[in-house]
Amino acid sequence: MTVVYIAIAAALLALTVWNLWTERDWRKQCTAAMVAVPLLLRVLMIK
Amino acid sequence: MIERHHASAAAVCAVALAAAAVAAASFTAHRAPDVVVPGSGVTEVRMLSDWFPGLDGTPGDTEVYVLRGAEPGGSMLVLGGTHPNEPAGYVAATLLVEDARVGRGVLYVVPRANASGFTHNDPQEGAPTGFSFRLPDGSTRTFTYGSRATNPVHQWPDPEVYIHASSGQSLSGNETRNLNRAYPGREDGTLTERVAYGIARLIVGEGIDVTVDLHEASPEYPVVDAMVAHERAMPLASNTVLGLELQGIGMSLEPSPKNLRGLSHRELGDATDTLAVLFESCNPSQGRLRGRTDEALVVEGKDPYYLRAAALGRLYVPFDEGGVPLAERVGRHLASIAELAFSMGMESEDEGLELSGVPGYDEISELGVGAFLSPAPEAGS
Repeated sequence: MTVVYIAIAAALLALTVWNLWTERDWRKQCTAAMVAVPLLLRVLMIK
Repeated sequence: MIERHHASAAAVCAVALAAAAVAAASFTAHRAPDVVVPGSGVTEVRMLSDWFPGLDGTPGDTEVYVLRGAEPGGSMLVLGGTHPNEPAGYVAATLLVEDARVGRGVLYVVPRANASGFTHNDPQEGAPTGFSFRLPDGSTRTFTYGSRATNPVHQWPDPEVYIHASSGQSLSGNETRNLNRAYPGREDGTLTERVAYGIARLIVGEGIDVTVDLHEASPEYPVVDAMVAHERAMPLASNTVLGLELQGIGMSLEPSPKNLRGLSHRELGDATDTLAVLFESCNPSQGRLRGRTDEALVVEGKDPYYLRAAALGRLYVPFDEGGVPLAERVGRHLASIAELAFSMGMESEDEGLELSGVPGYDEISELGVGAFLSPAPEAGS
């Protein structure tokens, strides 16, 4: 079950980074970056 | 040529990665276990996985310090750190390891019962990651301030509803990581259930006579400065409370509820032959009414909002400008353990546990915890 949840978090992280990369408004890029940080820490099982 | 929004995206990503690296370093540093310096009374240091190999190599495995007396007698297990955000419990257990000596019987001490809970702390609580005591030689000893529950990195995801395995009781999903809702545990359960199972195996394997689970509660919680006892442990607990009252240490005695399942005093008393009790001291850094939650609040126990609550009659313990210092709470736990050991020998000397070297309530309240801790060994020594 844990592996499935890590895969879900990884997919969400990938979509968030893709959204950040294609977004033209820098403020929305910052919002996406703030969402990405906890996702990255969870995918790496740090927090 | 690179587009402008891609340049800003790259810059934002770099800042996010830097922030993640700083956070990761902080979170990873929290995983280092606290130093415990075994005293002259410790005869053996074992791991919980010695009794339940299913914990070997997991973040749930934890040290079990054995203090065996020269003469046979009764046995007691002391659990600290069931909830790593209740510091008096694991600081008291650490002092037992460092200072206690046993003349008769055996004392088993687990300072970090939920070792995984020490590797993180609770989000949105604003709690410090640790607190320190200054020792007489000028050095300091630092203890982790952890979480009430197992680290979600070690046990994830939580279910929507936690169903206690042996009773079917339903609780909030995050209680699945609460060691004191997991007893008697399951051999093939979650990490938290396996830790509970390991502790139950230790009790059965060693024939532990008395099990003490050290906790703290917020000042506005009714069961505070209290001893909760399984019905079989009630005569022993009654003698202990009377002895504490004679020393001027107020302690209420509460029966273990039969319909609240998964707790140590209920399940270990039902599932094993041990006499199970739980102590609660008053922890202002844990309550909902507290103000700024920093190291000073953890150690000194002073809080202006609890003062106001006390004036309004909303607390279950006396609370004045002096607060409820951690030293006093640790002293309360240690005095209760010493009195419990004394009471074990009242009916039969063969079942007694003779303890010495345990700091008394008055001396630890006056001199502080640091006076009774051993200096940490230097790195590499």
